[in-house]
Amino acid sequence: MSGGRQIGAIVKKDIIAELRTKEMVVSMFLFVLLIMVAFHYGFGTTTDFSPFAGGLIWIAFLFTSLLGLNRSFVHEKDEGCLEGLLLSPVDRPNIFFGKMIGNFIFLTIVEIIAVPLYLVMLNLSIRGSVPMFILAIVLSNIGICVVGTLLSTISINTKMRDMLLPLIYLPISSPILICAVTSTNGIMGGVTGEKFAPVISAMKILAAYDIMFLLVAYALYDFVIGE
Amino acid sequence: MIMKKAITILLGIGSVLLLTGIAYAFLVAPIAVDPNTGKEVFHQKILYFHVPVAETSLVSFILAAVFGALFLYKRERKYDFLSLAAVELGFMYGLLVEMTGMMWDKAAWGVWWQWEPRLTTYLILMLMYSGYFVMRSSIGEDSTKARFGAVYAIIAAVNVPLTFFAIRLIPSIHPILFDSSGAGLEGPLLVAFLVSMFGMTFFYVSLLLTRYQMFGVSEELDILKNQIGG
Repeated sequence: MSGGRQIGAIVKKDIIAELRTKEMVVSMFLFVLLIMVAFHYGFGTTTDFSPFAGGLIWIAFLFTSLLGLNRSFVHEKDEGCLEGLLLSPVDRPNIFFGKMIGNFIFLTIVEIIAVPLYLVMLNLSIRGSVPMFILAIVLSNIGICVVGTLLSTISINTKMRDMLLPLIYLPISSPILICAVTSTNGIMGGVTGEKFAPVISAMKILAAYDIMFLLVAYALYDFVIGE
Repeated sequence: MIMKKAITILLGIGSVLLLTGIAYAFLVAPIAVDPNTGKEVFHQKILYFHVPVAETSLVSFILAAVFGALFLYKRERKYDFLSLAAVELGFMYGLLVEMTGMMWDKAAWGVWWQWEPRLTTYLILMLMYSGYFVMRSSIGEDSTKARFGAVYAIIAAVNVPLTFFAIRLIPSIHPILFDSSGAGLEGPLLVAFLVSMFGMTFFYVSLLLTRYQMFGVSEELDILKNQIGG
């Protein structure tokens, strides 16, 4: 099987498993909703959320992604599927790309439903360009899934399992949080001219982050997944 | 035996240079003047300790990643020991950076903590490498420990420049008083700075080698214990 088909097969397997149980997307979506309610009560009922809209959205998404990232390998490990995957004639980095794309799809689905809900229910709006907003989200999602998939493979192979993931994933993903918040805040606030420069640099850093960690993951995944 | 001698010599040179640099900074070098206000700034003296510590800790984290990569490539335990020692020392130096940085904050701006780019980068770095220790301690087998440790050291090192640039995006409230790259220093100030910088480097290498040796000794001890059935 060619590399592309190997990756496709793993993604397809994850999607079929998800369609049968629906547990990952549903629980991630409920979690996003719960965080929104928590924000509402945490910051008072009359607060104008628009100056830190990007912050709210990304705190919610980052913690929600943790939920999905943990699940994606807990399944494989508990049912002994990981051994199966490793025994099958699939290149190790392709396992990574397959799992990563699966995580990316699930996170994106949750965000497609959650972003409009956040906009409506917290009374936010996107004043800048919507395609830019989407680009910022996609770039951040790639980063989240690349680093998250790599680190969740590590954490699942330790005694602490899913306890460990937040401790290593949140600091490593801090550039994503900073850049995602900076760019979405700028775009949602509709800044123009000189103030738009940080938005552009944030997106550049996000792109650099994605590329660098894709390379790192490609180079190191052999060592991570076990020998 | 040669190693032991080398450590003693490095430690000696390092301590002497470091103390000379700091003494020179306090006793000989003039008190720096703020170019903006024209006032004398005594707390600038912390720079002769703070910057060498900061740069050594960054070098240490880079070394940890390099040794990690060497371990993955060659699979020799000594590289894992060196990588772990470098992370430990980098972490310890990082704590010193945070402490001296906070002292600077208090003296310059009257508060113990400012979300200033450099110190914030270090805070995230410290959190990142705390994860390294938690991860290692939650793995049973030594070989897995070494493998994951090496991978994580590389991931974290790649993340350092990205974090630094990302934090720079957020406008800093306070101007940076002195260019801490040392480029703003002249004459006797520069001499004091360079002397403590070299001192710190020698001191660091001696600590790294000592820690490395300790790992070797403790492994030998484990083997001997196993031999006598304890």
